[in-house]
Amino acid sequence: MRSSRRFIVALTSALFAAAPAAAQQVGTATAVNPLSESTPPGGSTAPLVVGAHIVHKERVHTTPAGTVQLLFTDKSSMSIAPNTDIVIDEYVYDPNANKGHMLVSLTQGALRFVGGQLSHQGEATITTSAANIGIRGGTVTVIQGQNGTKVINVAGIIKIVNGAGTFLLTRSDFGVLIQGWNTPIQDLGRIPPGDVAFYQAHTTSAPGQNGGVPGFTGANIGHCGIGSVQGTNCPQVPWMPSEAGQLDASQILGNATNFGPAQNNPPPPPPPPIIIRGR
Amino acid sequence: MKDGTWRASWNRCAGALAPALLLIVSSLPAKSQTTSDLLNPLFQGILARPADFNNALQYATLAPAGDIESAISTYEQLLFYNPNLANVRFELGVLYYRLGSYEMARSYFASALTMKDMTPGLRQRTEDLIAAIDKKLQPDQFSGYVQSGFRYQTNAALGPAAGTTLASGRVFNNAFAARPDWNWFGAFGLNYVHDFEDQAGNTFEASALGYDAQQFKLHQFDIGVMELRAGPRFGILSDTAIGLSIKPYFIATGATLADAAYYGGLGGGLTARIKLGDVSLDPYAEIVQQSFRNQTLYPLASGMSGTLSTVGLQASGPVYASLGFQSRVTYAHTDANFNPFGYNAYAGDIWLPWNFSPLGDGRTWTLTPTAGVSWWQYNAPDPTIAPNTTPNILEWRVGLGLEVPIWKLLNLGFLAQYRADVSNVPAFSMHDFSVTAGPTMRF
Repeated sequence: MRSSRRFIVALTSALFAAAPAAAQQVGTATAVNPLSESTPPGGSTAPLVVGAHIVHKERVHTTPAGTVQLLFTDKSSMSIAPNTDIVIDEYVYDPNANKGHMLVSLTQGALRFVGGQLSHQGEATITTSAANIGIRGGTVTVIQGQNGTKVINVAGIIKIVNGAGTFLLTRSDFGVLIQGWNTPIQDLGRIPPGDVAFYQAHTTSAPGQNGGVPGFTGANIGHCGIGSVQGTNCPQVPWMPSEAGQLDASQILGNATNFGPAQNNPPPPPPPPIIIRGR
Repeated sequence: MKDGTWRASWNRCAGALAPALLLIVSSLPAKSQTTSDLLNPLFQGILARPADFNNALQYATLAPAGDIESAISTYEQLLFYNPNLANVRFELGVLYYRLGSYEMARSYFASALTMKDMTPGLRQRTEDLIAAIDKKLQPDQFSGYVQSGFRYQTNAALGPAAGTTLASGRVFNNAFAARPDWNWFGAFGLNYVHDFEDQAGNTFEASALGYDAQQFKLHQFDIGVMELRAGPRFGILSDTAIGLSIKPYFIATGATLADAAYYGGLGGGLTARIKLGDVSLDPYAEIVQQSFRNQTLYPLASGMSGTLSTVGLQASGPVYASLGFQSRVTYAHTDANFNPFGYNAYAGDIWLPWNFSPLGDGRTWTLTPTAGVSWWQYNAPDPTIAPNTTPNILEWRVGLGLEVPIWKLLNLGFLAQYRADVSNVPAFSMHDFSVTAGPTMRF
């Protein structure tokens, strides 16, 4: 009797200890257009709402009209297109040590991942049926469709691995197509501008939607040189010191002046003749 | 204190302070602690209360100074709340532009132009950035500048004070002594890049640089310089470093002095480019075989012929918001035919371009403080100048440049510079103040 009670106490303690870890918030749904749903581990599927906590092992699904943005505690985010299915398979982040890893599986649809602390360390991975997509310091669009997985590098280094090999995607706006796990990764080169614009528009609110937050009607943003408030988001205007030629000329002239004059100096005048008188 | 003594002391102090200033400026943090302190609670606020868009907006406005991607996430969050705002799309375009994702940037800029709340000022800025992107996405890219103007120098000869006595007891030739003069100058720089459009980012790059100055009175200092550099750049695929590439290149250079052929050089070099976030590092090493030609006015010039070897590091990037930096440190060694003309030289320069728009019309002015210091140590005493002293020269220079936009690509440029050389050989000491003004066209 005593031993069974001890077992129940131990089991209960273990469950209580495990429960917070399992339900630990890894992110927040920061924008939600209906209908988007989520299924926490062991829970039932319910409509996702703005501000909902996203937990480890949670599944997120969007319908043909649904789009979602998830913000993670490491500052990375995911903009999820309609008709998409993802699962947060693993997410560990220690903000004090700034370490951890994340693994998200994409089974259908499209998403854009914007990097945070974990991807800066190369510890963010998106898996599909065709490849593992490792993200280092970057931003990437991943599309999972009937033809396989398409990856568009927005910025950073994307390492794609599958049964047929490894491919490093290092140039912005370039992409690859992977048709299956054992299919060689196909270099698509520069992605057509229309495709980029399509997926950009596909991963945000459509006209008439508001991401679940009404009332945002304008932003008084001070652009560089426009408006009364100076923002910090200013493109670096390409600039080069234009005095490069002058610097070279100055160097040549300086040396010429230093070493030119020695022989140019007139020889010292000869001493005046000594005239001895009286001899 | 006598004027000359005071000036020498000031020159020494300033020379010593210049490297310290360079170090302080280059160690400026990318973002201040205050900004970081502000950002963390705002980010936690977004996680806890995402619908508080004022909190999100405040974060989005501050974050781009240090964390472009985090700012993108927040502006994209705001775009979810209202996809019809031109200025949110514009901000996203700028952020992706700064990341180097020009297609994404173009997509946001193009969609911003279709928004009903687009203002004329923002439209102009958006169209300018789209034009810049279209240029960057061309396989064959040209950029450069053309500049002309007038320059006044208090010491056009860059020579010592008139009447300086050499160690041999003779007086320095007055034809090369410090004298003021005006000149007209023309300059151009042209850069060409062919992008092979492959994953590695392989390119072919070429640049040409030209400068010519015609003095009003002192024609012995009329000078022209031309330089060509070209070579292929090979991208190195790596999952540990972003934007690593190497480039071997050849150099051809020539100069005229006093309107006659004076100098020619042929050589080559190897440079790498390492992109660490927004900061670009370009270490390089190059060797140039220099050939100087004697002239009536410069009868000893051929003694300077020989091999010039240089190693250096160029760096550029943002400091904070619209303030950037460019810097260069070099070590150079020459093996001159006439050993006393050979030297080892160490130099460091920094430029801090600050873009601002004082008229609020979106047109960018650039104010650029500059500072530099060099140290020359010659190989041996020059028997005709100071037979018992091996010369060394400490040079420091400061300047302030301003570029004012006039019309489209046309700017008006101003540059004020002060340069001082302090040497243990009086004939090598000099100082010069110059003011330059003229139109500049960048494209």
